[in-house]
Amino acid sequence: MPEFQQTAFILLSILILASAFCVVLFRNLIYSALSMIGCFLGVAGIFILLHAELVAAAQVLIYVGAISVLVIFAIMLTGHRAGDLRLFFHKQAWVAVPICAVAGIALMVVMATATYNATKDAQNPSDDAIASLLFNEYAFPFELVSLALLVAMIGAVILAMKEKK
Amino acid sequence: MTPLQQYLALSIALFFIGSWGVLARRNIILIVMCVELMLNAINIALVAFSNYSPTGAGRGEVFVFFVFALAAAEAAIGLAIAIAMYRLKERLSIGDFDEMKG
Repeated sequence: MPEFQQTAFILLSILILASAFCVVLFRNLIYSALSMIGCFLGVAGIFILLHAELVAAAQVLIYVGAISVLVIFAIMLTGHRAGDLRLFFHKQAWVAVPICAVAGIALMVVMATATYNATKDAQNPSDDAIASLLFNEYAFPFELVSLALLVAMIGAVILAMKEKK
Repeated sequence: MTPLQQYLALSIALFFIGSWGVLARRNIILIVMCVELMLNAINIALVAFSNYSPTGAGRGEVFVFFVFALAAAEAAIGLAIAIAMYRLKERLSIGDFDEMKG
């Protein structure tokens, strides 16, 4: 990796991991949502470093644009009385730390010791290639995903609708 | 450490921060947010494997688009359930929902 990309990777990693910790640790849900947006933007930067510009654009549109707004809407609609502030951490929070750490370190060891048949630099697949994969080889899963989105949309509307008495 | 391994290490770290959030926090909306973080970690791994692969460049990126669509569906359903639960009890702490307990 060239010098500039290495620096950019380190800075983006710090942004992503720090804002992910902030999502978990902030008491105020609005602060959590805002640091989640920072994390999503950092991931979009990582996609650009990996030469996946189309995915980076979709990340900004879908995650930063749509999902964050949805989350902030839900926080605003439910208000700040949504739970006892003293209980913002679950009782099992401190048991979960070693479990997650051990599982993460085990996966890191597997990742570091495995051998990879990888190219030296990230390639840049053309948008044409991705589009033709999406609409030829993966056309059936694509249709299935669009059906899942439609069902999810109808389900969300029905769940969030006020019941008529 | 090769560049591919650096991206995978970032992905693993982000995934387990997200899973810690799912296990540690009580608020349902925050749990949905942490699940989104975990899905982002998976996307980093998919794109890294895809673009460092000598043969199948672009194939992993197609799956990232599927993950995007399903993450949007999951967020919509999860937050709608959270709003419905809030309307039922005026609470969003997961400990308050124990109606099925015998």
